[in-house]
Amino acid sequence: MPISLSGEGRFTVVTHAAGEAAENPPATQTSAPPVSFGRAAVSGLRQPIVAILLLIALFTTVAGKPLDGFLMLVVATLLIFDAARSRRRSAAGNPGASLAAQPVASAPADQPRRGLRRLLATAAWLVAGATYCTVVGSFSRYSWPATASVLALGCLMIAIGWQGPIRSRPPLRGKPLRRAWLWGIVLVSGGLLELGSLLEQPHLTTDSYAHPTISALTDPLLASHPGRSAVLGGWLLTGWFLAGR
Amino acid sequence: MSSRDLTIIGYLGVLAAGITLQVLAIRSPGRLPSLGRVLSHAMQTRTGRVGIIVAWAWIGLHFFAR
Repeated sequence: MPISLSGEGRFTVVTHAAGEAAENPPATQTSAPPVSFGRAAVSGLRQPIVAILLLIALFTTVAGKPLDGFLMLVVATLLIFDAARSRRRSAAGNPGASLAAQPVASAPADQPRRGLRRLLATAAWLVAGATYCTVVGSFSRYSWPATASVLALGCLMIAIGWQGPIRSRPPLRGKPLRRAWLWGIVLVSGGLLELGSLLEQPHLTTDSYAHPTISALTDPLLASHPGRSAVLGGWLLTGWFLAGR
Repeated sequence: MSSRDLTIIGYLGVLAAGITLQVLAIRSPGRLPSLGRVLSHAMQTRTGRVGIIVAWAWIGLHFFAR
C-alpha cells in the first residue's frame, strides 16, 4: 500500500478508495490532540450515508412505518459510533483502527474447493432460499410473521456486511470509474420519479391512481402467495448479489 | 395518454436505461462499469457497504413488514 508524505509532514495511507477520501479523512500516524467523543461523533454525522439513513428514518416514521425508521436509526447510530471510535483511535496514533475510513479488509483468498462440495453448498443455499420464499410468501403482507421474517434476514445481512466482503474484488479504475456517474443518473432518475409520484399522492399513505408509485404498481402482484414468493425470491437474489460484492 | 401511462412509461424507461447500460458494460468492460462493479466500488468502505445493504433490507421491509 503506497504511503505519501503530505505538506504538513504527516504520513497518509493512500488507498484505492480515493472517492471516499473526502467523506472519510485518511488516518494519520503522528500524534494529535485527543478528540472528544462529541466532536468525533459529529464527524460521523457528516458522512452522507449516515445523513441519508437518518432522513429515511424520519420520513418512514412520519409515513407510518416506525419499524423501518427504527432500523435505519439504529444502523445510522452504529455507523456514527463506529466512525467516532475510528476517529479517536486515529487521533491517538493508531491508524490501523480507522475502520470506517479505510476499505474493509479483504477476505482471505478462497481455498480451492472441490466442485462437488461447492455444488452441494450452492444447492443447500438454493433450497433454503426457496423454502424461505415459500414459507414467508404464505404470510399475508404486513403481518407479524412476515415482519419478523424479513426483519430477521435484514438484520442478519447487515451483521454480515458489517464484517467485510466475503470475497475480494478488483477495484474500479480509469475510464470505467470516470463513467460510473452514468449509473448514478439512472438510479437518481428512478428515485426522483418515485418521489414525484409519492408527492402527487393525496396522502403519504393513500395511493394515487394517476401517479402510481412502484409500491402501488406491485400491489396486485403481492396480493397472491406465488407473487409474494416470487418477489421475495428476487429480493433474496439481490441480497446474495450484494453479499458477494 | 394519461398521467398514469406516462408515469409507468417513465419507470419502464429507467429500467430500460439500466438494462442498456448493463449490456453495454458487459460488452465493453474497459469503457463502462457494470452495476456490480459500481456497487463493489461503493461497498469498499464499511459505511458504503452497510448503507447499501440497509437500503436492500429497507426494500424488503417496505414491501412486507408492518
